[in-house]
Amino acid sequence: MKYLITLVGAVLIVAASFFVARATTVKSLTSQNSIFETFEHVNGTWLYSDKIGAAAASGVERARVALGGPLGLSAKEAVYFVTQKDDDGARLRSQCTYRVTGPKIDTRWWSLALYDTITQHYVPNAENRSSWNSVSVPRADDGMWVIHVAPTPQETPWLPSQEAPDKTFELMIRVYNPSDSTRARLPNIDLPTVERVSC
Amino acid sequence: MLNRVLFYSLAAIALAAVTFFVTRNMVIQKAPVKVMSTIEARIVAGAGSWNACFHNQVYGPRTNAARRANPDSIISSMAYDLSDGPVRVAGETWPRYWSLSFYQQNSDNFFVINDLELAAPSFDFVLALEGQDTDALGGTKIISPTAKGIMLIRRFAADASDMPGIIANQNAMTCGPA
Repeated sequence: MKYLITLVGAVLIVAASFFVARATTVKSLTSQNSIFETFEHVNGTWLYSDKIGAAAASGVERARVALGGPLGLSAKEAVYFVTQKDDDGARLRSQCTYRVTGPKIDTRWWSLALYDTITQHYVPNAENRSSWNSVSVPRADDGMWVIHVAPTPQETPWLPSQEAPDKTFELMIRVYNPSDSTRARLPNIDLPTVERVSC
Repeated sequence: MLNRVLFYSLAAIALAAVTFFVTRNMVIQKAPVKVMSTIEARIVAGAGSWNACFHNQVYGPRTNAARRANPDSIISSMAYDLSDGPVRVAGETWPRYWSLSFYQQNSDNFFVINDLELAAPSFDFVLALEGQDTDALGGTKIISPTAKGIMLIRRFAADASDMPGIIANQNAMTCGPA
């Protein structure tokens, strides 16, 4: 009888620990910002990781990227930067207007994309636009560019956030085939400023 | 009596801790595999089978894309299964930007090459498992660490006017058992 009670107790402990561990681990991996928790801060509010798609990633890093942004390219081919905040450190919000000003990025191709932080997908909009890239964005002679992020139409280039108020969003820069000089400075390359114009 | 209570208490804590950490590690290791399996099932549904290509032929963001997908990238994808032999993927590159990447079943991007790294604007890769004979198949041999995985070809479109050229490029591709 004593052994039976001990055995039942052990089974209950194992079962309880199993379900608690599974629930807490899944919750931590699938939270909306989980993918960025092991990213490093660069240039203030931008986040960066060179472990996307990499064999050198830890198990947790691999799981977070798989769940939050699967099938990314390894750093050999492309690097990714993301921000969820403006230059003052405030969360990017859908009802606000922002001016994103960027320098020339010495790379074969770059793009700036906007994602809803809750759904982690693009924000549906009448323009059917969720990005601008190095070919499509108008640039000054020195390579500088400005993108207007806002819920309502702006002068070109306009990157629509959503009209629903108080939604949070994030901006992601993808840099494909960076030049040797850009790669040598990673991750501390010149990244855009994100200035809140109105709210 | 006190020693016995202490022993059982410590044993219970140790058992709970071991179970917790083993389970946590198991969930962490399996999560990428589960994500890959889900994406593979979607590709297979679109392509009609394993070892066949599915081509996105729509410009712009899509609600059915993967999380944080790149809207500028027009993707051809293949869920591969090398259990019955090697798989071939061949065709022409795309000048704005083209890359071919393979992902093993734990989601690692174990191989990637772009158009500037190729000697010609065409490609012919044979994906195989270690030990599979590909001598008579030609092409460039790539070894996959796992039998199943995903291939992606990315072509960048500046805008919708690039799409006819990209679709023609997709239609000229070969994907399937080698």
